[in-house]
Amino acid sequence: MSKRVLHHPDVPEQEADLSVWRSVREHEDTIKFRHQAIREFQDEEDTMDEDERELSRRNFVKLMGASTALAGLGLVSCRRPESYILPYADGPEWIVPGRPLFYATTMPAAGGAIPLVATTYESRPTKLAPNAKHPDNMGTDAMVQASILNLYSPSRSKEFLNKGAKASKADFDAFFNGFVKNPGKLGVVLGNDESPTRNRLAAQIAKKFPSVKFYNYEALENVAAEEAIAKAFGASKVKLTPKLEKADRILSFDSDFIELDAQSSSLQYSKKRQGGGENYDQEIDKKKMNRHYQVEAVFSLTGGMADHRLRVAPSQVAKVAVAVAREVLALKPTAALTQAVSGLSASFTGDEDYITDWVRECAKDLVAKAGKSLVLAGSNQPAEVHLLALALNDALGAFGKTINAYASKSSPTGSLLDLKKDVDGGAVDSLLLLTPSNPLFDAAADVDFASILDKVKVSVHLGERTDKTAYACDWHIPANHYLESWGDALTANGYYSIVQPLILPLYPDTFSEMDILTALTNGVALEAATAEAPSAGYEEVKTTFTKQFAKSASDWNNLLKNGFAKERGYAGATFGTVPSLKSLAAKYEKTPSKDALEVILAKDHSVADGRYIDNAWLQEAPDPVVKLTWDNAAIVSPKTAKSIGVYKEIAQLETDNAGRPEIGEAGKARAPMAEIKVGDTTVTLPVIIGYGQADYTISLPVGYGQASDDGRKSSDSFDEAKPTVGHVGKNTGFNVYPLRKETSQFLLAGAKVTPTKEKYPIASTQEHHAMYGRALAREISTMESPSKGDYKKQLKKVGQQGMDSHIPENIPLYKSKDTEKNDLISDKIHQWGMAIDLNTCTGCNACLIACQAENNIPVVGKEQVAKGREMHWIRMDRYYAAQTKEYDSHGHKIKYKEGEKAGEYKKVPKWVTENPAVLPQPVACTQCESAPCETVCPVNATVHTEEGLNAMAYNRCIGTRYCANNCPLKARRFNFFDYNKRNPLIKKNLYKGPFGEKKVGSPESLQRNPNVSVRMRGVMEKCTYCVQALELAKIKQKQITKKKAESAGSSVIAAASVNAADLRIARDSVQVACQSACPSDAISFGNLLRDGDNTPDKDRVVKAKESKRNYELLKYVGLFARTTYLARVKNPNPEMPDAKYIGLATINIH
Amino acid sequence: MANFFPRWTNYIPLKLAICAGIAVVGVIAAFAYYATPETQRVGYMPSQPIPYNHELHVQQLGLDCRYCHSFVEHSGHANIPTANTCWNCHQHVKKDSPKLEPLRRAIDETYEGYDGRPIEWVRVHQAPDYAYFNHSAHVNRGISCESCHGDVHEMEEVYHAKSLTMGFCIDCHREPENNLRPLEEVYNLDYDPDEYLEQNRDVATLVNDFIANNDKLSGKKLSSQQKLGHYLKDHWNVAPKESCATCHR
Repeated sequence: MSKRVLHHPDVPEQEADLSVWRSVREHEDTIKFRHQAIREFQDEEDTMDEDERELSRRNFVKLMGASTALAGLGLVSCRRPESYILPYADGPEWIVPGRPLFYATTMPAAGGAIPLVATTYESRPTKLAPNAKHPDNMGTDAMVQASILNLYSPSRSKEFLNKGAKASKADFDAFFNGFVKNPGKLGVVLGNDESPTRNRLAAQIAKKFPSVKFYNYEALENVAAEEAIAKAFGASKVKLTPKLEKADRILSFDSDFIELDAQSSSLQYSKKRQGGGENYDQEIDKKKMNRHYQVEAVFSLTGGMADHRLRVAPSQVAKVAVAVAREVLALKPTAALTQAVSGLSASFTGDEDYITDWVRECAKDLVAKAGKSLVLAGSNQPAEVHLLALALNDALGAFGKTINAYASKSSPTGSLLDLKKDVDGGAVDSLLLLTPSNPLFDAAADVDFASILDKVKVSVHLGERTDKTAYACDWHIPANHYLESWGDALTANGYYSIVQPLILPLYPDTFSEMDILTALTNGVALEAATAEAPSAGYEEVKTTFTKQFAKSASDWNNLLKNGFAKERGYAGATFGTVPSLKSLAAKYEKTPSKDALEVILAKDHSVADGRYIDNAWLQEAPDPVVKLTWDNAAIVSPKTAKSIGVYKEIAQLETDNAGRPEIGEAGKARAPMAEIKVGDTTVTLPVIIGYGQADYTISLPVGYGQASDDGRKSSDSFDEAKPTVGHVGKNTGFNVYPLRKETSQFLLAGAKVTPTKEKYPIASTQEHHAMYGRALAREISTMESPSKGDYKKQLKKVGQQGMDSHIPENIPLYKSKDTEKNDLISDKIHQWGMAIDLNTCTGCNACLIACQAENNIPVVGKEQVAKGREMHWIRMDRYYAAQTKEYDSHGHKIKYKEGEKAGEYKKVPKWVTENPAVLPQPVACTQCESAPCETVCPVNATVHTEEGLNAMAYNRCIGTRYCANNCPLKARRFNFFDYNKRNPLIKKNLYKGPFGEKKVGSPESLQRNPNVSVRMRGVMEKCTYCVQALELAKIKQKQITKKKAESAGSSVIAAASVNAADLRIARDSVQVACQSACPSDAISFGNLLRDGDNTPDKDRVVKAKESKRNYELLKYVGLFARTTYLARVKNPNPEMPDAKYIGLATINIH
Repeated sequence: MANFFPRWTNYIPLKLAICAGIAVVGVIAAFAYYATPETQRVGYMPSQPIPYNHELHVQQLGLDCRYCHSFVEHSGHANIPTANTCWNCHQHVKKDSPKLEPLRRAIDETYEGYDGRPIEWVRVHQAPDYAYFNHSAHVNRGISCESCHGDVHEMEEVYHAKSLTMGFCIDCHREPENNLRPLEEVYNLDYDPDEYLEQNRDVATLVNDFIANNDKLSGKKLSSQQKLGHYLKDHWNVAPKESCATCHR
């Protein structure tokens, strides 16, 4: 008997159009992809490898026999083992066993520190959330969420190293105690984050030892641009902080200002994006909504949010910038702008003709909104583009209105190049590296950091990881994590924020930057923090605060409680002028071509500049745009892939009769390798396709390839005696830093690409858990659509996009009533629901990692991800969307009636279709009221709660996987192995059964949330709306019985009555992990039942669901989902050449 | 040919069947008796590092449960007291008793054996890892310690008094009226509903009125506990959940 396949209704040919897709194979509509879409799990044939098949039958019987015998032995002792309760000997203040305790702290970061609230259980930090009370609340991104795992990383540095060999603290002290008394010509290299205490100590050290010099280095900082900006303001260091909440028009030159280039809180951008409807009190008002123009080469998350995205090579961004500047100059001349563009010209002809219109209309729009418009330049761009952006901002009156400029109070420091000069010149002969970067690995090749290390007499390195630099230095000091150390930092707008430790250092011999600087300042030995005496940093931070920021004695306690002070650590800065930028012309003169491609060295979404290489959560989180896990790859556009000659291999076009393709995104997925040559340097890495990327450009994410033992090129080799990475970072990706040059740090021209015959296995999740159905993620436009009418009409019809346009109203035959006709989902106090707003969701993965931290979700490793077994409860789907054909007012495609093209459909211009929009959509279990999974579970392990949750009783689950097969959203995850107990990162370890290496007792288990079961092998799991948080909130509310009686003044509590409203938790008072982590406030969660009908009484989620943008995923299946989505709204400028195609990709789907 | 199988062998299959039957019944009976939580757990009385006597401290000295189990109203765990809780009194009382040696090792810095390490109390009641029982949810809604832990105040050495199986939990979640009591009586382990109603005449009136006006209950024969329980259940909106996620997550 063959399996019955549900045949989804066919689409009339007249209307069929693939305008939304998620991968190359789906775009090419391969058989393989269609086959995969109808399955829950990937084909067994694809996913079983040799070992598994080996294990399958004979070994199963063998193992069963053995385990039965062992079970017999186990029966000897029936009584459970004795266990113990160890209360504190001396109970610490505030700690209530079993209750979380929250502390405000701050994560230092180069663009502005990130204010956080950390959850601790019995002093053990388990989870990070944004500090919502902070005036500079930035939300959290994936890296911030995952930073807690670094604290518990098993490969953290724990011991001192002396010339790469292990050393004791006593050995180090012998050296260091002399060193601090007379550091001599010392060069101290700091990170780029701003810390008032560090600045103060640095000044003291400089005063005490005039021969000590300070430098700044972080791998991905654009030093040239920063210096140029500072000069334009006549200050030594300037911080530009955009005020996105005030910006009605934003033009970004290659700046990923929402994500990787963040300079301020993107929450403000989202708020503006909601056009006055951020609390869902009203629909989005297009007049209040911002408009966002993006000029970029590689799809960034910011580009995904943009209304108009111009796809040009990175060198051509400068040309567009010049063109914009000339247009603005014509409309609104200012001295600075005139001077900046004097002698520069830019014109677009031929294929690029449309850019002329684009630029003109964009400039007009910016000028029309002068005072409310903002221009930003990306950190990859040369200094001239940054200066041009400054001049534009000046002309548009942005300073003080949509962008703030601050002058840092820190004393000027040198760059890495200055350090090289000083070392060569003899001004520096010893080195102290406190930067979080790994200069030996990531500094530009021609800086030759190794030679600097050779020349200095002694080098000391502080780091959390024993990276390449750690082994190369004379001394390595293991560093504290920021959750273990005292410190301070300034946020984007300069608010003084405290870095406060939540736990004593996990390892006895680790020290913080503050400890070392204090030792230098005071000429004392390094002392580790103990329970009795805090580390030296404590006193120093307190001194800084009381001297520079505090007004009264109680301020210190408030600082510890709130995490910030109202005082700011930055002074204002006033824009002066910019020099002539004539030198820019040479940079955009040449356009990239087939034989001379442009290379972009990009910050990676997972490992940043390489510092998070050992963070398993980040490594496994799919890249938000290309969906690659555990590796980096050369990303090229489809056209470039064709010109290199690898497109077919990637897409693996096939016909119905073709055999099973070798390439697939299952376990055997292989990407073709290619050699990329720039100048004399060659790197070899796999090539994958990214839509919407500028042609003839290659994006190379940096930071990978730090150590490998599988013989790959473009990676340092792994040395057992000097491990630079742990199990996580080993054999991941390829090192592209060798391409980097001091003069061209991020953009390189003239690259040649030659495919090699080799192939490389990749684990990409873009096709995993692909759902059937159309218009899953939806968007509309504020502009009139020829087929669907104006904004209001489109808004009304959001619920009818895709399949939902021709479904009858759902009348379920199954009534969810019990035998007494009561509702099965019966609770009258709480009914939970969620709304996810695609209008603000950027697809950044913060929710995915927050969920992983909150719900003890294991990491499965690259091989398992390739097989589609990733465990993330939230799956971040990413659709490319582009309208390909023109439509008439009936919603039909327009066909040419006569002429040359008679019978053909009228196509949308190629420059539009080649630049698709990106629609991210996080999908987790939607808690369907009539859940298909529940009816098929043979053991009732998944059942509904009275409050509308689709609960999982893990201990009941026997692992039949029927539920997952029946889930149309593919939201369920199965533990194919004991990922929590057996380390999946050791090769073949999972297949060794009881003989494999166990992970028990490894430090990551300290991060676990004690309120959530750690699941074992053979158990299904999925999102349950953080039911642990809901239960705790409800239980807390139950204390009201006593409170009510007490407030009534009655001694007889029995007389006090408690009604449903008393037991209902306060409106919006409980936050689920994904919601609190979201840096754009896209997730609303709460109680669907409410106290009254007045708007202020409703939970935010109820108001969101009342929006016209609200729609249900796969509504035609009849799920009655509790999680619904809100369609994205694009706000195009009607005058722009691409305006009539923006935001309309899903609107014509039937 | 002689009878290969003598006549008596005719009965062998029958005898075997009977024996097998008895053996099976025996195994089942033994399993039902010995391997269930009722037998395994009830009566479990491990010896503790310090032979702490609840009877002495509660009945004779009048300590409230919450003096030691101080967070029971605020946290899921009913904590075992920290050593300094004991030391509050015992630095003055019976300080030199050899029985208190583990306490002094944990807290008394002047003691020669002092190491500051916590006392290792042996766990008596243990919910499985996948069951998340919350004390505060129960004691704040009128479920007494006694309902699950038995007459701890009369125990010289603590033992496992009730089965605490899932069935035990569900029984009460279905019919909480059998255990609900006024909040002020939750920690009174000698509580008697009759006595309580006697002393609180106004509550008794409320309860009687409630029962009389309730169609489903008025005709039934109910104990005082059940009457008061039904009244409190209605009056406090007590609706214990029976779905899995209440305790398992």
